[in-house]
Amino acid sequence: MSVSAHPTPQPGTEEYHPVFVGKTLEQLGEILTRYPTKQAALLPALWLVQEARGWISDRNMAEVAEVLGLTPAYVKGVVTFYTMYHQHPVGKHFVQVCTTSPCNVCGAEAVVKALLDATGAKELGATSPDGKWTVIEVECLGACGFATPVLVDDDFVEGVSAEKVPDLVKRYK
Amino acid sequence: MADELVNLTIDGVPVGVPKGTLVIEAAKQAGVLVPHYCYHPGLPVAGVCRMCLVDIEKAPKLQIACATQVAEGMVVRTQSPQAKSGRMGVLELLLINHPLDCPICDQSGECELQDFTFQEGRPATRYSPDYAKRFNPVEDFGPDVLYVPNRCILCTRCVRFMEDVAQEPVLNVSERGDRAFIGIHSEGRLDHPWAGNVVDLCPVGSLLSKDFLHKARAWELDKAASICTGCSQGCNVTLDTRENVVVRVRPRPNLDVNRYFICDHGRMNYRWMNRGDRIEAPLVRRDGELHATDWDEALDVVASRLRGAGGAAVALVSPRVSTEALFFARELFRGHEWSGAFQVVMGEEAPLAGVPNLALRAERAPNGRGAELLGYHRDYASALAAAETAAVVLVLDEPDIAVRTAGKLVYVGTVLPERARDAEVVLPIANVAEEEGTFVNRDGRVQRYFQAKPAPGMARPAWWVFAELVATLQGGGHVATAADAFDRLAASIEAFRGLSYPQLGFAGPR
Amino acid sequence: MGYPHKPHPKETVVLSKHFGEADARTHKGWVKRGGYESLAQALTMEPARVIDIVKESGLRGRGGAGFPTGLKWSFMPKEKKKPHYLCVNADESEPGTFKDREIMRWTPHALLEGAAIAAHAIQAEVVYIYIRGEFTEPWAVMEKALAEATAAGVFGVIKLYLHRGAGAYICGEETALMNSIEGKRGNPRIKPPFPAAAGVFGMPTTINNVETLAAVPLVLKKGAAWYKGLSLSSPKSTGTKLFSVCGHVQKPGNYEVTMGFPLKDLLYDLCGGMPPGRTLKACIPGGSSVPILNREETEGCLLDYEGVVEKGSMLGSGGVIVFDDSTDMVYQIMRLARFYAHESCAQCTQCREGTAWTTKILERILSGQGKTADLDLLLDLADNMTGKTICVLSDSCAAPVVSGIKKFKKEFEDYIAGRRKPVSVA
Repeated sequence: MSVSAHPTPQPGTEEYHPVFVGKTLEQLGEILTRYPTKQAALLPALWLVQEARGWISDRNMAEVAEVLGLTPAYVKGVVTFYTMYHQHPVGKHFVQVCTTSPCNVCGAEAVVKALLDATGAKELGATSPDGKWTVIEVECLGACGFATPVLVDDDFVEGVSAEKVPDLVKRYK
Repeated sequence: MADELVNLTIDGVPVGVPKGTLVIEAAKQAGVLVPHYCYHPGLPVAGVCRMCLVDIEKAPKLQIACATQVAEGMVVRTQSPQAKSGRMGVLELLLINHPLDCPICDQSGECELQDFTFQEGRPATRYSPDYAKRFNPVEDFGPDVLYVPNRCILCTRCVRFMEDVAQEPVLNVSERGDRAFIGIHSEGRLDHPWAGNVVDLCPVGSLLSKDFLHKARAWELDKAASICTGCSQGCNVTLDTRENVVVRVRPRPNLDVNRYFICDHGRMNYRWMNRGDRIEAPLVRRDGELHATDWDEALDVVASRLRGAGGAAVALVSPRVSTEALFFARELFRGHEWSGAFQVVMGEEAPLAGVPNLALRAERAPNGRGAELLGYHRDYASALAAAETAAVVLVLDEPDIAVRTAGKLVYVGTVLPERARDAEVVLPIANVAEEEGTFVNRDGRVQRYFQAKPAPGMARPAWWVFAELVATLQGGGHVATAADAFDRLAASIEAFRGLSYPQLGFAGPR
Repeated sequence: MGYPHKPHPKETVVLSKHFGEADARTHKGWVKRGGYESLAQALTMEPARVIDIVKESGLRGRGGAGFPTGLKWSFMPKEKKKPHYLCVNADESEPGTFKDREIMRWTPHALLEGAAIAAHAIQAEVVYIYIRGEFTEPWAVMEKALAEATAAGVFGVIKLYLHRGAGAYICGEETALMNSIEGKRGNPRIKPPFPAAAGVFGMPTTINNVETLAAVPLVLKKGAAWYKGLSLSSPKSTGTKLFSVCGHVQKPGNYEVTMGFPLKDLLYDLCGGMPPGRTLKACIPGGSSVPILNREETEGCLLDYEGVVEKGSMLGSGGVIVFDDSTDMVYQIMRLARFYAHESCAQCTQCREGTAWTTKILERILSGQGKTADLDLLLDLADNMTGKTICVLSDSCAAPVVSGIKKFKKEFEDYIAGRRKPVSVA
């Protein structure tokens, strides 16, 4: 799921719509009361952005930086560290499949293959032509005894096998 | 509270250092350089490169010298088989993805990766050709800095400098694991006034100065200690010359002035030192025109003009001229009604937030304070007015002579401005790179600078010109060296009493 | 939904007593089961007294390091001059380990109660519970439980907050966890300073694992002697442990047994043994970062801190990964190396470059292009990567490689010599 290390900046002539307004801003306000520094609200703030927009753009990072008194470069350094933050748009449903050894010996790679076929995404990290699916391999999801765990958006599905994949995919519109 | 020393042994050498000293610094006292990359005395400790691993008796594992404080009775071994093997391991791992760029890399010859690999690295690779090296294209970070990710060893000195010293975190570490690289936000540029220091800090040729790109090889450079002339901060610098042309300015460490850094304004402020349009011979006016001649005749002409002249003398001087020259230029007019003035170009101040009392100063000249201490004042306009009716006007390397003088104009300078073509006599002098001298910075600190290249043609140091005239007109013996010139100055001006060249050395007064 | 299997008679059900009971997740339900009594009592006790009880019980950290919990708490300043913090490590990402998530999604109040007691013992007013970003269900359960318990006023002046991770195994390292809470990259810190002196936000901090804290209410309620008594062998390892068994067993899941329990019984009896027709080949007893045990070592191993060390591995997180004879050990070791390469934070040279190179060499061997010298190279690399870095992720990558080459050398040699068909590596 390698993203280009040097994403070209989007030529943005469109107006930017801030994330931290209204209710989201209120939420951030509450979060800020939990920590002695503004910086500590960074991970929660980035989650709010991703929940609102589906991914975190450079422009979003600049907004978060401004709101928390950090620099855009600093925020970017944090975003690129954590694999759950998307730095580019992904399919409507984002699928994470664990293929680390405990799940690997229980058929995880077959699950991946089945998912790539059933969703039409074909390649890891790519979005399916209908824009509905992106499938990636991830490291241990902490459900090794329930192999193979698959995270579809926020749904943590356990015990997925290659046979069960088509039904799983059908569940999501 | 008495500063008790902690005693320890490093590679068999006993040293005593203050409590809290890092082993890597204590080692310097033992004459031992512990190989390292990420550590830098001007930056917060990171402990990430793992190169400075040393063997400390009783410690179960190798410890990093940059993050370990000394303890009484500590026994440190930097050359034990374990420590050497640890360093060889780090070097090998740094080199697996590092491109064989030495033939085209600016850092070659002053590269710490080269140095330590030669010293104790593996003789051959175990990586190539079986495995491909990581590749990322070169990035332009901003006004002067290029980033070559392939060469980066992720020591994070640049990131820590911008975050902690410049206090503008515009560089980050992006991604994780062996995909990591130094990143910059797409809307960001490395245009902080002190950003150029990241190029010096980079131990390898990953961060490069566009200004210096492919200009010279490190081993071709001669170096001279100097003082930056960009402003009144008085940062200590090194002038790098190649075949007598100044090609680069770099900071020289001075813990009392600029620590390890200089600003970009000073860094780029050297091209004028190489100007080709210099006055190369003394000129005297004969039959309405300036003719080149030799020093003897030129100095005779000046002496005779001054001998006969009564009335006021006005000196218009540049604040970029040495203290010694300013002193003798004033001595010349002892007994005359005299006024001397200077003007300084002003600019915006740009502090380096993480270092106390360090900034690119508004006063863009190195010796305004020196001039003040020697009796020159700042009301340049009134001096210009006085010059109109003065008997003698001495202009010392200052191009702004916006008046027509009634009396005799003697121009002593490096280049000949249009207005000075009316001068009676023109005397060529050396610039800061071509002589020895001192400047006094805004804090009253007297600092020496040294000669980096020869002066063009027949140009001489300005202090010599005036000292010769003083000797001729007032007696008192010739002055042979800049050191002697300074001694005369120190004997005469209260503010400089007790100072001398040997005492000032490279770091200024203690 | 998960795996609420019925407890096996040989289990000692303490922490997992209420796994599978949906009602246990509510505040009311937990109180009905005797919950929050310990906390109420603890809040009336001197913090030092609470620490003493936990010390006496012999409870050791269940995150992997096995450090005595009471002793860790006692490192906090006795005289309170600055804010103190408790961080709960719910970042469970060690391959093979899946016990903390069960505690959180079945008995969230056990964790909350234990955390509050710990906070009281170390004089912390604020608790951050760092939950890995992928644990969406545990998060939801914890969020609800926290809201209910807070509303019920059980925590007194102590404030508990959930903090969501965003996908980084290294944030399970205690200093990296603190950095992550502070809004930074999850880079481990050099020590000293130690967390108890300068931790999160530079303040005295204690970090404890979920399972460790979940045991605390019971230790207080039933006493240190009771907890100590729950041990089959060594007095140094007390209480029970949730062992997460996964891989090639008939009944993978979390099994709670007392310290000193034979690993053989856990696998063949409680877990129903190998899949039909298969035999045990290897076992990693404590999460992927500990050395691999071969069959003989596995079958002779007692599950306590000292017992596993005796067999050449470590108890670690108690994530038991079982490989049967169908397993391609070279492939799985490669996959583990790849895990570490993905998760390396990039600070230390040995880890950043070493984990990636190790992975590449193993991939090469699997693809049929390996050389004889590769094994020595791997071992040399592993030696370089051990004991020389800020944290032990680097050592953790070396562990399966070293133990794998030592105990399954023939499998590597088969690939190198071309006796085994190359496999494609994704």
